[in-house]
Amino acid sequence: MATLNEKKTCSERMENFRRFVWNPETKLFMGRTLINWVWISLYYLAFYVVMTGLFALSIYSLMRTVNPYEPDYQDQLKSPGVTLRPDVYGDRGLQIYYNISENKTWERLVTTLQTFLTAYTPAAQHLNVNCTGDKYFIQDTFDGPNNTKLSCKFTSDMLQNCSGIADPTFGFPEGKPCFIIKMNRIIKFYPGNGTAPRVDCTYVGDESRPLEVDYYPVNGTFNLHYFPYYGKKAQPTYSNPLVAVKFLNITRNVELKIVCKIIGAGITFDNVHDPYEGKVEFKLKIED
Amino acid sequence: SASELEEKYGTSINKGLSSSRAAEILARDGPNSLTPPKATPEIVKFLKQMVGGFSILLWIGAVFSWISFGIQFAQGAESPFDNLYLGVVLALVVILTGIFAYYQEAKSTNIMASFSKMIPQQALVIRDAEKKELPAEQLVVGDIVEIKGGDRIPADIRLISAQGCKVDNSSLTGESEPQSRSCDFTHENPLETKNIAFYSTTCVEGTATGIVINTGDRTVIGRIASLASGVGNEKTPIAIEIEHFVYLVAGVAISIGVLFFIISVSMRYKILDSIIFLIGIIVANVPEGLLATVTVSLSLTAKRMAKKNCLVKNLEAVETLGSTSIICSDKTGTLTQNRMTVAHLWFDNQIYSADTSEDQTTQPFDQSSPSWTALSKIVTLCNRAEFRPGQENLPIMKRVVVGDASETALLKFAEVILGDVMSIRAQNKKVAEIPFNSTNKFQLSIHETDDPNDKRFLLVMKGAPERILERCSTIMINGKEEPLDSEKAEAFQTAYMELGGMGERVLGFCHLYLPENEFPDTYPFDTDSMNFPTSNLCFVGLLSMIDPPRSTVPDAVSKCRSAGIKVIMVTGDHPITAKAIAKSVGIISATSETVEDIAKRLNIPVEQVNRREATAAVVNGMELKDMSLQQLDDILCNHSEIVFARTSPQQKLIIVEGCQRQGAVVAVTGDGVNDSPALKKADIGIAMGIAGSDAAKNAADMVLLDDNFASIVTGVEEGRLIFDNLKKTIAYTLTKNIAELCPFLIYIIASIPMPIGTITILFIDLGTDIIPSVALAYEKAESDIMNRRPRNKKKDRLVNEQLAVYSYLQIGIIQSVGAFVTYFTVYAEQGFLPSTLLGVRVDWENNAINDFEDSYGQEWTKYQRMYLQWTGYTAFFVSITIQQVADLIIRKTRRNSIFQQGLFRNKVIWVGIFSQIGIALILSYVLMAYWFVAVPFAILIWVYDEDFKLSLPPLPLTHPC
Repeated sequence: MATLNEKKTCSERMENFRRFVWNPETKLFMGRTLINWVWISLYYLAFYVVMTGLFALSIYSLMRTVNPYEPDYQDQLKSPGVTLRPDVYGDRGLQIYYNISENKTWERLVTTLQTFLTAYTPAAQHLNVNCTGDKYFIQDTFDGPNNTKLSCKFTSDMLQNCSGIADPTFGFPEGKPCFIIKMNRIIKFYPGNGTAPRVDCTYVGDESRPLEVDYYPVNGTFNLHYFPYYGKKAQPTYSNPLVAVKFLNITRNVELKIVCKIIGAGITFDNVHDPYEGKVEFKLKIED
Repeated sequence: SASELEEKYGTSINKGLSSSRAAEILARDGPNSLTPPKATPEIVKFLKQMVGGFSILLWIGAVFSWISFGIQFAQGAESPFDNLYLGVVLALVVILTGIFAYYQEAKSTNIMASFSKMIPQQALVIRDAEKKELPAEQLVVGDIVEIKGGDRIPADIRLISAQGCKVDNSSLTGESEPQSRSCDFTHENPLETKNIAFYSTTCVEGTATGIVINTGDRTVIGRIASLASGVGNEKTPIAIEIEHFVYLVAGVAISIGVLFFIISVSMRYKILDSIIFLIGIIVANVPEGLLATVTVSLSLTAKRMAKKNCLVKNLEAVETLGSTSIICSDKTGTLTQNRMTVAHLWFDNQIYSADTSEDQTTQPFDQSSPSWTALSKIVTLCNRAEFRPGQENLPIMKRVVVGDASETALLKFAEVILGDVMSIRAQNKKVAEIPFNSTNKFQLSIHETDDPNDKRFLLVMKGAPERILERCSTIMINGKEEPLDSEKAEAFQTAYMELGGMGERVLGFCHLYLPENEFPDTYPFDTDSMNFPTSNLCFVGLLSMIDPPRSTVPDAVSKCRSAGIKVIMVTGDHPITAKAIAKSVGIISATSETVEDIAKRLNIPVEQVNRREATAAVVNGMELKDMSLQQLDDILCNHSEIVFARTSPQQKLIIVEGCQRQGAVVAVTGDGVNDSPALKKADIGIAMGIAGSDAAKNAADMVLLDDNFASIVTGVEEGRLIFDNLKKTIAYTLTKNIAELCPFLIYIIASIPMPIGTITILFIDLGTDIIPSVALAYEKAESDIMNRRPRNKKKDRLVNEQLAVYSYLQIGIIQSVGAFVTYFTVYAEQGFLPSTLLGVRVDWENNAINDFEDSYGQEWTKYQRMYLQWTGYTAFFVSITIQQVADLIIRKTRRNSIFQQGLFRNKVIWVGIFSQIGIALILSYVLMAYWFVAVPFAILIWVYDEDFKLSLPPLPLTHPC
């Protein structure tokens, strides 16, 4: 590097570099003898093998110590996120725009819903049990097959008019579209504190303006027997309960901002940073 | 003639200039002061700090951030402001560190500025036919000024009348003897002629009147000063080292950055993302806080040195002294006390030595002999020097004396031994006196005695010993007058030669009691006709004087020796004196001989001596003049002990250049204007704070406030220590770069969620790591740094390959592994097991996925994932911090085990450790458990390093030391 401080011609520099790479007089390759390089390489090889081993060992012992059923800490997941189907994201969040007269624009949305609901066919749910109680389904023991816990059935027919069974187009061509609201799973989360949490949709910023909505199941509640969730290992067949909302009086050709909140103790929707915590906001525009 | 002069300068000798005319000339010529060397405009200095070092890289990072912000903003992406902020933060980092460095530098320059603002000098000027006191700055060509003993000459002046005027030209020519000045034109060369007195020299005695012929920069001194500013300023060694280090790190940063840019583009990342990775890699690689830390460390050392009387003008010079391999020292004032002092006496056929230390209060030699009584009387009486009144409370050695150097020495010597000299003189009333002059070379006075019963007059005489001896017929031995036979004359010669050979100025003393019958009370002594005997006197003794070395110098020189620093004396003085002083301070050691010494010992001609046998050399300025550069190089190479005598300012420059040709880092000490070119040329110029002229101080990098050579040794020690400690600081800082860089590389390759953010990296570099790295500057030396040779400029780099490799590829890797284990632990304990993280990046960062499933089936919104990612950043940050504590502890030492060095000798390290942890606690909120994940790795780092320090030999790798 001393060369940097002295003015040298390019050819001299090249020559110096060549000599540095292989100096025939001292038999130095890049400033060291070959045997020296071998030793160094071996040392580094050993060093990195040991370090990799240490890393592997650390990860192995980490895996041995974590609880396979539930994470050690849940301080980051205090309140569940809420998602909407169909989910078309624009630059500024969910944007559901379609034109009634152009089939293509809403067929996409309908397909999304249909695909989403395939996980809720009776066939897909056949491993789950029918639940009737309107209380938390607390299981302290592993009663299910293969040392698992039981999960409650949720089939798409519970969504009635929005189940896609009677109306496979989910009301999109009529301008009365169905949306499905899903609450994120959190292990051992007891929403609502004994009362079933329910979905409530309003216009954003103008809650007094009436938005005519049909909720399915009735009142738009998530039945308590779907909670708590015990995790993937304990409840491999668990599926989230859903609420469908059908908007009945959507003004055409206007972009509307709608928010669907989940009302229930323990569910917060006032986190300014997170637009999907406890609520889901979206823009809806139906054109003729 | 006077009238020609009047005409030439448009003035009148009696009336001076008129005020209006003076004002005109002042407006034309400018004030009579030296223009300070052209300072770089502050704004340029400031901008330099903004673009120097790593700043360019960071600016590039900032610009890239803004560009990507612009693109994202135009595309209407959801969170483009992150990049805007990142760019702003990077720019702020550059600006703040720039301001900081600028402030530090300005602070040290300000100390110097205070120097030049000395008390304004006054000059006595005749203007409008009136005598006026004016500030010297307002003098103009043609002004008539009066000067008297003790004044500084306010401009270059042509004398038109002078009475016993002597000037001290030492600051200009280096001659230490005062020169007499008269109004006679004696030489073509203005420097040689007697009728010109130069700006900034001092008038030692007498009075004179003269016409100002040059002012300000047009004076001789002004021209030398501007010559000095023409000598280019070399880069300091530490600046070169830091540059080298910046190149190294920037090279690594750019090559890794570009490499991964290419990799990420070929892995089909978007160009925009690839640019953001590039920024991350640059930020991770650049130790943002390091240059500021280096500045702080240097200024801490500078402060410490200032306490020890070394004032550092240029911060980087702090280290230069540490790498110094040759010191070219001036003699007068630096090595010596710069005052004549009686060193030896010869009476009763015997040489006695006197105490020459700085603060003598008694003299130890035998004072019982009656000869001494006689001698002391002559010393007291035959002396015209007097103390300035009002200094009774000062120690004798510190009192100001009116009189020349030798007489001052004798007066102080007498005052120390006999007490109140003035009252002794009063008791022995002086009746006649012949002052010293260069023709008869003696001084004589006749006194009444203090014994009221003894009516005889006492004639006392002192002067050049051989002249005095000529006038004597007897010699006093043990108080008795004995005839001066050839045997006694021989003894005198031997003593005279011996004292002269020691480079001392010898004076002879004799006296005569005039017989009462021939010279009664009323005898009219006439000094012109000399109606009294001046021969057949009684010789009493010799006194020899020298400007003695400072008492701390021999020790300091031997310390320099053992530190491998060659001390060369460069002086304007006579070779014999120079050699004697060199011997007494150890610049020429007791056992070594010059070519001439060997010739004398073997009794062979100088030419036959094998030059290689002589370790010492005394080179005369005249010889130097005829030497080729090769011959000079030869001398500088082959002799370890060199004295240059009778050198001119230009020769000083040649000597310095010669030393630099040998690849040495050269320190030059000096005080006069004539030294300033050499001071500037030197790698580090050291000016004297007390005796030094402003020009010298301006040209120098460092000022010794106490003019003491020993302070240089302290400086060398501090300089070496700071170099060692900066190495530690850099090693400490570089290590974590890997732990900051790996996240980006693995993020790109394995597509895991980002382990650490760019801003978080800045928190480490500019937050937690700053105080610990400064704390390393307080580390004590590991071994005796003054017992090793100065570092080799070319080989002992601040950052060498070994240091970089050890930091980057070994300790850095351990740190990265530790940090990644923490990272995976955090994600696993929150629900994402390591296996789920690989390849997850695209979905993880997708805004449209708000039900992202973890290993346990829980679902996360985008924000929740981001929040977890930030927790990951924090944990990564915390684990780097924890491991940096271990890094700090291992970096305390480079060779010694921590058990040898001890953990508690440097208390500041603890401040560093606690601040590090404290800042991390403030900056982060993560579960305490995550703090401990990296602890085993921290311990591993320490154990690994201890082992490395223990077991160097079997491995071809060497520890970076």
